[in-house]
Amino acid sequence: MKNVTSTHFDVIVAGAGVAGITSAAVAASRGLRVALVSTGPGSFVLGAGCVEVQNMDRNTPSLEEAIGFFRNFTELAGCGFRGGLEEKRYVPTILGSFQTVSMAPFYMWNGDPSAASQVAVVGIRGLSTFDSNFVAERLAYHASKLERGSKYIAYEIDLSIEEDTVPGTLQFGNRYDRDARFRQELRDALKPIATKANAIILPGILGLKSGQIEIDWLENQLGCLICELPTLPPSIPGVRLFNRLEARLRKAGVEVFSGFPIQKMEIEDRRYKGIMLDAPARPLHLTSETMILATGPFSGKLMGAPWSGVNRDLHPLDSTGAVVAENIYAAGAILHNSKAHGGNAMAILTGYASGMLAAGVGVQYAQG
Amino acid sequence: MRKDDVSLDNCLKCADCNTACPVVTAHPAYPGPKRLGPELERMRREGIQCDSDWLEYCLGCHRCDLACPNEVNVSELIARAKATHTKTPVRKIRDWWFARPGLLGRLMTIAPGISNFALGLKPVRGVMSATMKITPERTFPAYTSAPLRTPEAGTANQGERVVFFPGCYIQYNEPELGCHVLQLLQINGFNPEVASTGCCGVPSLANGDAVEARKRAVANVESMAEAVDAGARIVTACSSCGHMLKTGFANLLEGDAELGKKAEKIAANTFDLGELLMIQQDAGKLNTRFEPAATKLKLAYHAPCHQKSQGTGRPWYNLLRQVPGVEIVDLNAGCCGMSGTYGFKEEKYPISMQVGSELFEGIRSSAPQAVVTECATCQMQIEHGTGVKAMHPVDVLLNAYKESARV
Repeated sequence: MKNVTSTHFDVIVAGAGVAGITSAAVAASRGLRVALVSTGPGSFVLGAGCVEVQNMDRNTPSLEEAIGFFRNFTELAGCGFRGGLEEKRYVPTILGSFQTVSMAPFYMWNGDPSAASQVAVVGIRGLSTFDSNFVAERLAYHASKLERGSKYIAYEIDLSIEEDTVPGTLQFGNRYDRDARFRQELRDALKPIATKANAIILPGILGLKSGQIEIDWLENQLGCLICELPTLPPSIPGVRLFNRLEARLRKAGVEVFSGFPIQKMEIEDRRYKGIMLDAPARPLHLTSETMILATGPFSGKLMGAPWSGVNRDLHPLDSTGAVVAENIYAAGAILHNSKAHGGNAMAILTGYASGMLAAGVGVQYAQG
Repeated sequence: MRKDDVSLDNCLKCADCNTACPVVTAHPAYPGPKRLGPELERMRREGIQCDSDWLEYCLGCHRCDLACPNEVNVSELIARAKATHTKTPVRKIRDWWFARPGLLGRLMTIAPGISNFALGLKPVRGVMSATMKITPERTFPAYTSAPLRTPEAGTANQGERVVFFPGCYIQYNEPELGCHVLQLLQINGFNPEVASTGCCGVPSLANGDAVEARKRAVANVESMAEAVDAGARIVTACSSCGHMLKTGFANLLEGDAELGKKAEKIAANTFDLGELLMIQQDAGKLNTRFEPAATKLKLAYHAPCHQKSQGTGRPWYNLLRQVPGVEIVDLNAGCCGMSGTYGFKEEKYPISMQVGSELFEGIRSSAPQAVVTECATCQMQIEHGTGVKAMHPVDVLLNAYKESARV
């Protein structure tokens, strides 16, 4: 009989953002029993999870492996990232500007103005959060400033709306997941446009649970590249990315505790012992050999000690510069390194490094 | 998550709750937890009338609470508004009964043969649909009058005293399952007794009857306080009862210093059976004298929403995957859509089925021999939506023990 305990783990990762998810994935891939603890699903609801490496030194140790691991993991999750360390692409936004990225999920990657010359910007009638005329006009302006010759033409399509509803990206996203007729309707509405363009820019509506297969289907049917832009919250592409990555973690055996904040971290004699989750009725006590803190920029208080940064092994330091606990590692935006904290690359790097360190694999890592 | 009620100020309108809401997912016209909860609560607190029929459509699954990154008591805000919502006369009468499954159970089990016969008749269901708006699409669970009794303590069993809270379904529909719970407790060295309690009150809250829910809370707290004071733990086998004992009583009795304190003590000492056994397992005390399996059993596990909301991880899934011969997958396919009495309501039946469709699809594609889930109404919905047999994990675990392991 396998002895599976439900409250003791090799590693507990706190925080379900890009850093936490990456470190949980790394630790699980090294055969550790991992718990992922979070209050909510990171900040995916606000964005799309693009990766910028511009502010970082490309020669940072382990950066390449970390990016490689992340690419592989997201690919397995059905939400693969395109690009890499040496890439630099311009991904459009709903404000009609371009964001410079090194990597992006596959459904955003094709928005670069050099990837296509005839770009259709397609809005949906009634969907007020995406104005195709505005986006097309501004993208044309910004593309010309970047000396790209792409043409942007605005279109508006009609999609059926459920009775008594206002068109919204959440409605369309859910219908894309659940309703084959809706997917066909969308395809049919886009078909005439696809013959006149080699790329289509759409507001983010292609499902909250869909992956490569479901989105490739539309692209193949249209014979045209698709780029989806995240709109105002909820960002459908962002929520999709989270859903896919979390499902993949579960598949890899990670035990997910979502919805309950950490009430207390137990640290005795500079050794971390466990955490108390604020569950109903009484706290849930979870213990582990190591702890990875990837709780974002707002939650440094958890350790009960003033926080002054991390050492080279990612161990958090107190105000005297001493290590808080040798079996705690920190990852992601909690590190507050504004100099090097750029668009998720740092989250992937420190997530990767902390997961490897927790698995007892020495990682050469230098901050910034 | 639901400890103070100024939490609405924490709402940043990120809409994570809307993306997690099963009703929004299935039915776009539903305004969603963000709107019905924190947004309208601001108006309600200013005394502005903003009653809406949509309040009735909240499943009470608590998924919005778990999704909220900022610890807003979303579902609690909706539940409170639901309690002051004005219903149509027909729904009012129907929901009065649905809020009282304990009373229904006592009436139906006076002559269960007649009740079951009548509830199975097409014309009766036609009349119930026409007059009470109860969907004729579903069959009612059969009632039985066989009482669930505290087992005689065997000489070999002088273990820790635990009090089993059976809840309406086990009491009135499936006392046999209750017997299995008691056996499982005995096999694992506990000395169980059956609580003399009624309905936990979840159906009352779900049907917007806060007064009745409070009555249930008072009665239950009074009847269990003594045992808990004497050091006994309470055990539940229904996830909604467990959820109510852990969170609902203390909430409802907040204003009463003495009862509130008792409710908190009961909450702190209430354990879902799976949770209790998993704690035993973690301490190396679980009875693991399992019979080698003759044939492989392929199961799929569905975690009820009220199991997730208890914040205990996945005890039953982790227990069952250690049973020899059992191959089990966690479906992780969202809410089943039944939500107790919700799925029986004619106007809510289509939404209930739409919500469940993702789960039905997940079950079909994993093609198990049976689905296991702790919640009786989840089981009804799964069988109704897929035709696949659904059972309580207690039955799987009990079957796995050798005859010799039993008391």
